[in-house]
Order: sequence, then structure tokens, then C-alpha cells
Amino acid sequence: MSQPQMKRSRRDIFKFAGGAVAGVLFTPAPWRLITDAALWSENWPGIPRPARGEIRAKFTNCSLCRAGCAVRARCVGEQPVFLAGVRGGLCPFGLTAHHLPYHPARLKQGQIEEATRAVAQRAAEGIAVLDLNPGRTASWTYRRAMASLKGIYLAPELPEEVYDLHAAKTVLSIGAPLLDGWGTPANVIAARQNVRLIQAEAVESRTAVLADEWIPLEPGTERVFAGQILKSLQGARTSALAGELLANGPSLVIGDAPEIGEINRLLGAWGKTVVASTEAPVPDPWKKSAAAITALADVPDHSIRVLLIDESAAASYIPWQQIEPKLSRENPLVVTFAATRGGYARHAQYALPVGVYPELTDDIAPAVDSVRPVFRISVPLVTPPAGLANPADFVGALAGVPASNALRERADAIQKTGRGSVLTYADGKETPVKELTPDAFWKALNEGGEWKGDVVSRAPSPSRSAARPAEVAESAGDLPLIAIHEAHNPALVSPLMTKLYQESNVRLAPNRVALHPDDARAANLTNSARAILQTRMGKCTVEVTVDAAVPAGAVLVGGSAGIQDVCAAGARAKVVSA
Amino acid sequence: MIAENKKSPAARYGMTIDVDRCNGCGSCMVACAVENNVPPAAAGATDRTGLTWIRVFRIDNGAEGADRRSAFVPVLCQHCGKDAPCVSVCPQQAVDVDPATGIVGQMPERCLGCRYCMAACPYHARYFNWWDPAWPAGMEKTLNPDVAPRMRGVVEKCNFCHGRWHAAKAKAVANGKAEIDPADYVPACVEACPSGAIHFGNLNDPSTETTQGARQPNSFRMLESLGTEPKIHYQSRKSWVREIANAPRPGKENARG
Repeated sequence: MSQPQMKRSRRDIFKFAGGAVAGVLFTPAPWRLITDAALWSENWPGIPRPARGEIRAKFTNCSLCRAGCAVRARCVGEQPVFLAGVRGGLCPFGLTAHHLPYHPARLKQGQIEEATRAVAQRAAEGIAVLDLNPGRTASWTYRRAMASLKGIYLAPELPEEVYDLHAAKTVLSIGAPLLDGWGTPANVIAARQNVRLIQAEAVESRTAVLADEWIPLEPGTERVFAGQILKSLQGARTSALAGELLANGPSLVIGDAPEIGEINRLLGAWGKTVVASTEAPVPDPWKKSAAAITALADVPDHSIRVLLIDESAAASYIPWQQIEPKLSRENPLVVTFAATRGGYARHAQYALPVGVYPELTDDIAPAVDSVRPVFRISVPLVTPPAGLANPADFVGALAGVPASNALRERADAIQKTGRGSVLTYADGKETPVKELTPDAFWKALNEGGEWKGDVVSRAPSPSRSAARPAEVAESAGDLPLIAIHEAHNPALVSPLMTKLYQESNVRLAPNRVALHPDDARAANLTNSARAILQTRMGKCTVEVTVDAAVPAGAVLVGGSAGIQDVCAAGARAKVVSA
Repeated sequence: MIAENKKSPAARYGMTIDVDRCNGCGSCMVACAVENNVPPAAAGATDRTGLTWIRVFRIDNGAEGADRRSAFVPVLCQHCGKDAPCVSVCPQQAVDVDPATGIVGQMPERCLGCRYCMAACPYHARYFNWWDPAWPAGMEKTLNPDVAPRMRGVVEKCNFCHGRWHAAKAKAVANGKAEIDPADYVPACVEACPSGAIHFGNLNDPSTETTQGARQPNSFRMLESLGTEPKIHYQSRKSWVREIANAPRPGKENARG
């Protein structure tokens, strides 16, 4: 009798395999595998290994703003890995500037040759240069080129006066970000110790937090406040604040309100705490062949056929809505020199990539608190990539004005005067210019140094802004909020600034607006909600931060070009859910 | 080691932070990130999940409207001088206190990511790496060679820029000195602060500005009642600021984050 043989069917094999798989799930093995895989994978993406090399220090001047802080760069080989201030700390933008060449949003390519041809073909038809950081050597190149081409040199109004904080005993700041990017940080902080600071503004800003006294204003009433002080000083009855400014002098009032010039004059500040701005010497031939500085508002509408915009080191931003009416109706040509596509590149036919600090060579216009004429060069710390445009070379070439050696020519003109001294950062030595040869002076500037001229203490001419007509107050209509601007920030910032924008609320992100909880509730908005910011000039998409520190009835707006295009400071606005 | 300690008494590094001088610019936060190779925020990172070894909080007096007053308070690891809670809870002994410096250190190689230390820390000064560290292409060239980037899944925190301490120690040894020059060892946040609000030094040395600042009548430490003896001393003339520091647990109503 034969034993029945056990037959294994395919079904049995599948059953066995399924049972085995199910059984394994009840053992530690798969779970251990998952844990181990998680641990092994911690290093899978390839954590970068920092490069090693000789550690050395290089010195330069930060060109992100007019403060032009002296910078000591800790370099590994030729690569900067940490930036620090030579005289005190740096702002967060300056501290992280060595990341800018690697910013993912950086503009790296552009049609330089095509743009050159297009501009050259039409340069005689009404050309203008808009310089958003006037007062540099490049600005003189633009002015000389525009004079040669019979074009227009456009620039924001340059202040004729600068402020001597060290000479002041009382400072009233009407909305000026005195401790947050207004002047040179080291100078402002040093002067702050001996000054009574009164900050008048709607929002408790970083300056207001540290002021001796914060006067909370209704949003949008800064000019009214300045007018009241002016009236008080002009009249027989002096208000308590005006009395304090008179009694505890020398006093100084700073801010944007046009009344401030006259207030300072009545306080006796002219020649004491408000002195004339003095530019570093420039070669005489430049002065003779330079176009005048024209304000954008003075240009007739539809008169510009070719507009070249230098926003490479912009110290301010002019909303596109103010520029556009000045362009010709028929096929205007706009070329912008930019580091990102976020600014005027959105409106230009050609966006040409430029070098960014700290890879470009440029000088820095004097700061608003620099009472002595200064000349500082931002020396490159890293080599710029190929294919970048140099705005000064581009514009100069159109008119046959040589620009490549302009900084050296300017340095020679300064050295020739024999005035002032040069401070070299590496050794902290101050050497009189008359003891230096032109080459030694140039070398000192290029190794990280600063030329300072003699103090010229003279009263400035009456402020141009005092003559500005009164602005017509915007009616509320259906726009219930008043816009308050954050201080101007550079267009390109390090990705590490997300520590301040995203991983904490220390600063308002450029694309954000902040609202009081009551206003947010009324608009049915929550924190981080997407919303639309509406003004009479247009609208743009924003994200919302709900912040009890923002006064009710106001909206604190970030500094992105999109927001600035539609929302001027003090403008009426509305924020609605997107 | 014992003989060396006899020659040079142990240091007890600490800080004084003048709250009345901090304008909340954030320089300390980004300088810390640059020095210690902390990556930029991942796309999904928030104030809860981000990596900020030092974070500036804006606090206020709780009043509304014109009476509201604010202050900025930088908060970092307080480097507890006694019974540091994170040390005792760590199952991996990944947290230790250096007897030579008093610095509470974190060893990411040992950390298994359980986050007990984060739960134990009363100052919320520890951060977990939720994402792989990533820098935009090319930016890895700017990393500090003295500090190794950490991997995903571990906790990290302020260590008073220990890389700088090592560099200062190496320099002292090279010069034949037993002790480091105080000028050679300055944490990045101290160096970066534009308003000079942060001072750093050896609290065992009575001549340092840090020690003198810690003895000022307006000086206070956070949550002193816990008895952890933090080595971060704050200063403020404002009584409401000092009171918040002694609140049993800083809530969202007082401090952001």
C-alpha cells in the first residue's frame, strides 16, 4: 500500500510565503531594520564637509548700505567663512553677506550683448539713467555719460545735510529707524550713550523699544506731529516737548517730515548738530562734464525712450507706478542691472546680472551721520563668476567715458589734496594722507581702509524738503488701514535670514504684513494666512502675521518690491483674505 | 589632568545680557548660525521646529495700546551650573558638563534623538534636527571648518562656540601658555552684537565685566527658583522684565514662540 504523497501546490507555496511574511512582522527584525535604516539614512544625503585650509583675515567695507561698516573677514584660503565688524558688531544683513554670491534667487545670466546693441541703437532718442544709490564714483560716471549723450541722470534726492549725533544732547526722532539701519551702527551706538532719545511713531519699533521715551502717535500723523512742534516753536506758547528740546540742547530732530528742516533751524541746530554734507574730492574734469541730478518728479511724462536702472546696490526703491508714466508711449526700452528678478527686472526688457557684495569693487556713498567726507572701497573677498555686467562700464561705454579706472582716478584726486588721513583696519593705524604716495594711498584703500577728510563745520543751506508742498491726505474710503513701512532692507539677503523671518518673529519677512489681532479678526485672517494687500495703487499677494504690537488701524508692511510698488508709507490700505 | 587643573583653576564661563541695550536686530542669531554651521530654515520649518541656538524673544508688559512696552530678550542655553536637567535625563550620556569650563556640551554623535533633554530643559533652549541639513548649492563653501554639521535626528544647542574655545586653547598651547587669552575666546553672538548688549567671560574672575555685570542690582537670572544656577545673567532696569524672567513658565502671552 503506497503512502499518499504530500503534494505541494502553488497555492501552498504562496500560503507559506504569506505566513512567513506575516510572521516576520511579529519579530523584532523589520522594526529594527526600519530604525537602523533611519539612523543610517541620517548621513545618506551627504552632509557637507567644511573645507579646510589656512585661516587668514581680509578686510573690506560692507556696501549693502551707506553705513559702509568696516569688515574683518575670517577666510579659509580665499573663501570668507565669517564676517565681523572692525568697530563693533554688524547688522544681520552684513554678517551674512558672504552667502549672497550663492543665493538661489540670484540672477546669473542675461543678454548683455543684445542689450548693448539695443541701447546703442536708441541712445540718442531720450536716454536716462536711474541711479538708486547716488553719491558713488559710479554715479559720477553716469553723470558724465548722460552729459555726453544729452540724457538725464535720475536719482533720489540727496540730503544736503548730515547729522552729528555726538554733538547732540537730545534727539527727537519722528519715525526714523535711528537704531535700526539709519546711520552707521558703531557711530550711532557710541553716540547713544550721551543722548536723550525721544522716539515718536505709531508702532513700537526697535528704536522705540530702546528710546528713553516713546511717544505713540496715531498711524499716519507723523507730519501733523511735526507741524505741532513747528507751530509751538514759532508761537509764543511752547509745548512741553518743544520746551525740552530748547532747554536740553543742543537738540536734533530727525525724520522724513518736511517741517523738520525748519524745526532744526529754530532749535539752533544748524551748524551744530546739522551740518553740511561734504563729498570726497572728485577730479575737476568730472565736475565740469557732469549732468545735473534730476528728480524723477521733474521729468516730463512720456519723455524717456531708453531707461537704464542701476539697482545693483540700491539704497532705496521707487515704485514702478511712479516710473512708468515717464516712459515713452511707443516701445520704451528698459534695461536694469540687478542681482535678482524681484525688483525692476519684472518690468524690464533686459535684466542684466551684476556682481553682489562681497564680490564687486565699488565705493560707498557717505552715511547720513558721517560729518566728515569719507572714501571707502568695498574690496572683493571672492572672485565674481563670469558673465556679469558692470553698470558703470556699460553706461560709460555708450558715451565713450572710461569707467574701469574711475576709482583709482578718484583716489588720486583725494591724495592730491593732501588733506585728511587714512585708517587701515589691519593695524588700526591712522596715517595722514600727505605722508603717502598715490600708490601707497591706493594700496591702503584696497587692503581695507577708510579715508576721512577734515571736519567741515558749516551750516547747510535751508533744507529743500522744507519747500515741499503739503501732501493731500488720502481719504479713508473703503481702505480702513494705514500702512507703516519696515526699514529699507537689501534686495538680496542671505538664506540664513530665515532664522529671523521664518524660525522666529524677530523681523517681518519681506512678503508679509502684520496686523493687530482686532483688525485680523475683522478681516477673518489668521496667522500665516495668505491675503491680498489692496491700496489705491494696486494690490499684491502677502502673508499675514498677527501681532499685538501693531497698533489697531495700521498695517505694518514688509519690504518686498511687490509691496512697495503698491503701498507707499502712510498709504491707505486694506488686507483681505486671498 | 589633575596636575594641570591644580596649575590653572577651572573657569566658569558665563554671560551677562543687558536687555535694555538689545534692539532685537537678530545679529546674534545669524552670527550663531554662521559660526556653528546651522543650516537655513527648511521649507516647512516654523518657530517650533526651527534651529536657533540663540533666539531673541519680544516680550511685553501685557498692557494695551499706548501703555504697552516691549523688550527683546535673547535666550540661549543657560548653561546651568547645578543639576542641569538635560544632563541627568539623557540616556546616552550625550550631554555633559566640562569641568574645565563649566560649559554644558552636547555630543550629537551619541544622541539618539529621544528628545528627553528638550522636555527637561526649562528654558526651551534645545533644538531637534527635523530635516537633513541642507545649504543652497555653493553655500557649503562658506561653512566653518572648526564645527562639524549635525545630522538629522539629533538634538543640538548652544555650546558657547566651543570651536572657538578649542582654537583659543590651541593658540595658548602653541604660545606656551596654560590659560587662554580672554580676547581669543569670544562667542560669535557676543562679537556680532552691534549694541554691545552681551558680555562673555569667566565668572570665577572677579575682574571681568561679565562678573561685575552679574553682581549689579538689576541683574537677574531666568527661573532662579528652580535652583539650576544658570550662568547667563540678564540685566534690566525695568521691573516688569525682571518679573517675567521669574514666571514659572514663560507662556505665549508673554513671549513669542
